[in-house]
Amino acid sequence: MDRYSFSLTTFAPNGKLLQIEHALAAVGNGATSVGIKAANGVVIATEKKAGSSLIDVSSLEHMVMVCESIGMVYSGMGPDFRVLVNSARKAAQKYRRIYMEDPPVRILVKELASIMQEFTQSGGVRPFGVSLLIAGVDDRGPNLYQVDPSGSYFPWKATAIGKNMVNSKTFLEKRFDNDIDLEDAVYTAILTLKEGFEGQMTEQSIDVGVITTIPTTQADGKQKPPRFQRLSPAEIKDYLSNVA
Amino acid sequence: MSSRSASAGYDRHITIFSPDGRLFQVEYAFKAISNSGLTSVGVRGKDSVVIATQKKVPDKLIDPATVTHVFGITPSIGCVVTGLEPDGRTQIMRARQEAAEFKYKYAYDITPDMLAKRMANINQVYTQKAFMRPLGVSMIIIGWDDERGPQLYKTDPAGYYAGFKATAAGAKHQEAFNFLEKKLKSDEEPNAEDSVELAIATLSSVLSANFKAQDLEVAVVTKDNPVFRILTADEIDAELTRIAEKD
Repeated sequence: MDRYSFSLTTFAPNGKLLQIEHALAAVGNGATSVGIKAANGVVIATEKKAGSSLIDVSSLEHMVMVCESIGMVYSGMGPDFRVLVNSARKAAQKYRRIYMEDPPVRILVKELASIMQEFTQSGGVRPFGVSLLIAGVDDRGPNLYQVDPSGSYFPWKATAIGKNMVNSKTFLEKRFDNDIDLEDAVYTAILTLKEGFEGQMTEQSIDVGVITTIPTTQADGKQKPPRFQRLSPAEIKDYLSNVA
Repeated sequence: MSSRSASAGYDRHITIFSPDGRLFQVEYAFKAISNSGLTSVGVRGKDSVVIATQKKVPDKLIDPATVTHVFGITPSIGCVVTGLEPDGRTQIMRARQEAAEFKYKYAYDITPDMLAKRMANINQVYTQKAFMRPLGVSMIIIGWDDERGPQLYKTDPAGYYAGFKATAAGAKHQEAFNFLEKKLKSDEEPNAEDSVELAIATLSSVLSANFKAQDLEVAVVTKDNPVFRILTADEIDAELTRIAEKD
């Protein structure tokens, strides 16, 4: 293990960190994911292409909850994503132990980005082959962030990552406006994925996650903070039927 | 977009990215599985799940009873490992350790999906850290989950894992997948007998072979008996006879 106490990501003569560029190529080979920040919430969605009809799609976890108010999706290498999901969840709980509430999105993003940066500099490891889209609601309202293999992070109003990101972003630029409602944003996200989708898009082949800024009122009158939710296949089917 | 960048040549030796974002060591690990020459399949039914694999004894002097790729991990979970045998044994030892530690920590048996996830996460580490190569094995895990019934999972050197209605690994896995996809198109889940039959039929078809009991290893987990059970030679014989008489 000590034989690899040197970094595998090193500067090329032209000043580039090639391993990071290659990691971005791995992201570009991955299924497309989109995210839209609405006036009253955030939506993230991804293609969930099962390589075979024999795969039990209910076992695939592409859209995950990090903590109650933050969700995450990726483009790139699935196994690397799982590692970051665990790191994100742990980081969120660590924050909770100290401050007794969920971390603000920007704080969690910084933590994850820092982890991803470490893997571009530490000895004997390669960068993560994923870009993340992190959606959440906090004191500042709705948030949508992208985190890259390099550890750079960007706040977005709307964006796409993965195979079809260029066309998807053009599509989004045309349809986005600052006052977009969350419902419309969900439709737009699904439409954006549909643009680049090969074959027939069904409720089994995409995953959609939503969080609204509006707290829910429980039966006992208490207000619960908004919760990140994965849409069920039935709900996605509803959206799809209205979009076809 | 990025200019054509040359790799230092190490991307084929350790798990770092190639210019187009691939991990060659992981891809080569997959090749090692195919090179092993054996094929395994798994089929999940309504109330049962079965795995079957070829049993090839390379030398007459080898004691056939010691040649096996099917291993129990907990009383209700077992698996078949396909690929490099020594790597397979390492994975089995680790899987058993993980399952035992889980039971010790949480006071209940690990479920197949959690075990598969844990093994897949371990595989992922080998794809990201340079000091250990990925293992050249694919593990098909079957088991009984008290809440969800029969479970079938597969892990691979890339650290990927998924639940399956049916799956295959090894030399002829692609042909086996094609065969199984056709047979399971109707979405109807087969019963216990039919799953065993489908598993054996898949192997026969892709390997163009008529099996005798000593050429196969079969293991099942069923609702009536939710323990991982390896069939004896006589039981396999009975299944083969039943299949032969059906035609």
